[in-house]
Amino acid sequence: MTRTLLALALAVRILVAPALGGAMAQDASTVPHRVVSLIPAVTEMIFAIGDGDRLVGVSSYDRYPPAVQKLARVGGLLDPNIETILSLRPDLVIVYDTQQELKQRLARANIPVYRYEHRGLADITQTLRAVGARLGSADAANRAAAKMESDLAAIQRSVAGKPRPKTMLVFGREPGSLRGIDASGGYGFLHDMLGVAGGDNVFADVKRQSVEATTEMVLARQPEVIIELRYGDSLPTFDTARIVREWDALSSVPAVRNHRVYVLTGDQFVVPGPRVVEATREIAEVLHRR
Amino acid sequence: MDPLLRADGVSFSYEPDRFVLDDVSLSVRRGAIVGLLGPNGSGKTTLLRILGGTLKAARGGVALDGRPLASLSRLDLARRIAVVPQETHATFDFTALEIVLMGRYPHLGAFQLEGADDIRIARESLQATGTAAFEARAFATLSGGEKQRVVIAGALAQASDVLLLDEPTASLDVGYQFDIVDLLLRLNTERGTTMVVSTHDLNLAAALCGELVMIRHGRVLASGATADVLTPANVRALYGVDAEIAMHPRVRHLTVTPIGRAHS
Amino acid sequence: MAAPIRKRLLGVVAVFGGLLLAVAVVAPLVGTTRISLAHVFDRTTPFADNLDAQIFFIARLPRVVAAALVGAGLATAGVVFQALLRNPLAAPETLGVSIGASLGAMIAITLLPATAILGVPSVSVASFLGSLGALAVVYALSIARSRGMSSTVLLLGGVVLTTFLGAIVSFIQYLADFTKTFQTVRWLMGSLDVGSYTAIVAALVPMVIAAIGYATLPRTLDLITLGPDAAAARGVDVARAERVALVSASLSTGAAVSLGGPIGFIGIVVPHLVRMLVGADHRLVLPAAALFGAAFLIGCDLLARTIAAPVELPVGIVTAMIGGPFFLWLLLRRTR
Repeated sequence: MTRTLLALALAVRILVAPALGGAMAQDASTVPHRVVSLIPAVTEMIFAIGDGDRLVGVSSYDRYPPAVQKLARVGGLLDPNIETILSLRPDLVIVYDTQQELKQRLARANIPVYRYEHRGLADITQTLRAVGARLGSADAANRAAAKMESDLAAIQRSVAGKPRPKTMLVFGREPGSLRGIDASGGYGFLHDMLGVAGGDNVFADVKRQSVEATTEMVLARQPEVIIELRYGDSLPTFDTARIVREWDALSSVPAVRNHRVYVLTGDQFVVPGPRVVEATREIAEVLHRR
Repeated sequence: MDPLLRADGVSFSYEPDRFVLDDVSLSVRRGAIVGLLGPNGSGKTTLLRILGGTLKAARGGVALDGRPLASLSRLDLARRIAVVPQETHATFDFTALEIVLMGRYPHLGAFQLEGADDIRIARESLQATGTAAFEARAFATLSGGEKQRVVIAGALAQASDVLLLDEPTASLDVGYQFDIVDLLLRLNTERGTTMVVSTHDLNLAAALCGELVMIRHGRVLASGATADVLTPANVRALYGVDAEIAMHPRVRHLTVTPIGRAHS
Repeated sequence: MAAPIRKRLLGVVAVFGGLLLAVAVVAPLVGTTRISLAHVFDRTTPFADNLDAQIFFIARLPRVVAAALVGAGLATAGVVFQALLRNPLAAPETLGVSIGASLGAMIAITLLPATAILGVPSVSVASFLGSLGALAVVYALSIARSRGMSSTVLLLGGVVLTTFLGAIVSFIQYLADFTKTFQTVRWLMGSLDVGSYTAIVAALVPMVIAAIGYATLPRTLDLITLGPDAAAARGVDVARAERVALVSASLSTGAAVSLGGPIGFIGIVVPHLVRMLVGADHRLVLPAAALFGAAFLIGCDLLARTIAAPVELPVGIVTAMIGGPFFLWLLLRRTR
């Protein structure tokens, strides 16, 4: 009788466990050692926790830290390569929550997954902790998360009491012109970073992650600071000058008139991982530069 | 009298080894109604297009009033020769009057707009073909017979000496066929318009044309006055059909009654 | 219908021209931000500090002018393509010139460094070059058949070119950096927010050339719609007219798309609407389409930037939402 019950319990455990996914605490024997991460932010988190050596595969968009150069690439949000993933024999795959098909196929292959959702600044440290727990390194993760939180708090304290300039945070536009300006709306981690750094988002009232800002909108909202984010490769100085000059047409905008158009470069601005601290610090610096 | 329209040794082919017309010669007197008679695929339509100048013969040529067609400008040609195709399809909602007014194109300068005279000529043409009532109606809504008459009116508005018609009654009900024949005969009598009619219809040819040019496999089989040329022997040679041909006492032209397949 | 053409032409120009004037005057004054005409023309405030003037002259006026040009360009191209192809469902997009322009823009956005050529953004220049490339292909197709342009060959060639170039566009989007893909998607939705006049002036050049071509065409187009033989029999130089039509309409389309992106439905809806109002004579339809197309797009752009405040809708969405149902209705009406 007990044997049947045990067998039943085992069967349930085997059948149900893969379907649960999500963040689950593991005991030491099931700590994953071959991890594939499709999310650059999570890759950075894993390195921050100190478990970077457990990664066997990363997404095609991963660039940081340099150690990822040696790792296999498995595609990204739109094009995950299931064959490559399987060939790496992972015991944990970190996927976007929206990658339904990928999750199903990994479930059929009995490979545990961790589902990642992209949200605001606060969720970054939460995810850091959860990933750490999943990897069996809860302590290291908690320490890293706590450090991030205290660093961010420190930045916030350093700008407290200073005037908060109306800021437009631009993360893309049509090359060479002021068309198709993509700015941060009043929602999402870019908006949160701006808030911590001591700036007020001109589009705070638009409850979306991104806003296509037309010239009329920019003129009407009169930002005092414009920060353009450029990522991919860093730019030589003269290019930066040209980028800033392209805003000259909107000379009635305070940011343009007072020469407060800044270009900040680097992936840390678009990867919601441990480097947001660095990113927030850079934003704070230009916001309160005199 | 010199022929108004003359073809000399015209040859044409669309593809290198398949000729459509081989050494065709014919002459059309002023004021005559000449029929190009032959089965489908005999080359009649191609010949008509060459006579009208829209297609150039590979060998031989066509002369209008003694002058080679090639020496006439496009507009000149359009002022002297008008064409009535088998079917006219208007993609857009032109009115009958607008269709007829397009016949005035060769008479107007590049940016000239139609004047009162042109509109008068157009209206008169519609009148002549009995379609004045359709002036403001959309061409596309007219019946087959009505459309053909409007197109003929358009050709009239072109004020040309010569009218070329390609199977003018092929898609029409028998009633309308008579209407067209009557109309063409009347125009020929009243205005002296020279006509060349391409058809495979034996009775149309007999009723309408004073002369015939029989075309078979791209060559002239026989040509001359209808009474001389429209014989059972020629019909058999042309269509492979036995026919009884007789002068009809009431209408006073030949009528052809096909009997059956010819067995040689 | 019986009134002489001259009078009708004047009437058409007066009515549609009046409409365009009215819309063009009102549009720059209306928007999500209230501005006052008095402030706009207030000379005492330097331009660099005059917000109302900046919104009027930098944000709105170029938009209105661009909308007029793009609307007129696409509408007239639609009229000419429909006549050339003898097909009432033809549009500027049919022969692939529009997708060629899109491909040029894609390449510029994803692969080329951002520059301005004589003050014109590189994306617009690349876009126009793309349209010329597509035109070259279509033109070569059309003269390969020595017996004159077959509309069937042109249509098929256009479909093939559109599909093929469309696949390349998708491929480039797929390969590109995630953020650049986002920008390409934006560009493909169309935007009249040009912000400066240099791009407008640059687009004006091919449009003026196209207009000169159009000026020689209207009566000829009428005759061509009856068929090449029928037109030739009435004295039309069909081959030359078809070439002029193809090149003019393609230049017009290329300029419009490189200025404002591929904005759909104008090239197919406006010609039909105009024909319903003035008849089929191209001497009336062409100028009416130009004027009405301009007014229509100015109106759509006005809606696009006010209806969803504080954000703006891409203008291509507004033209589709208006044009789509209208087009369906048109189709249903014809089949009755």
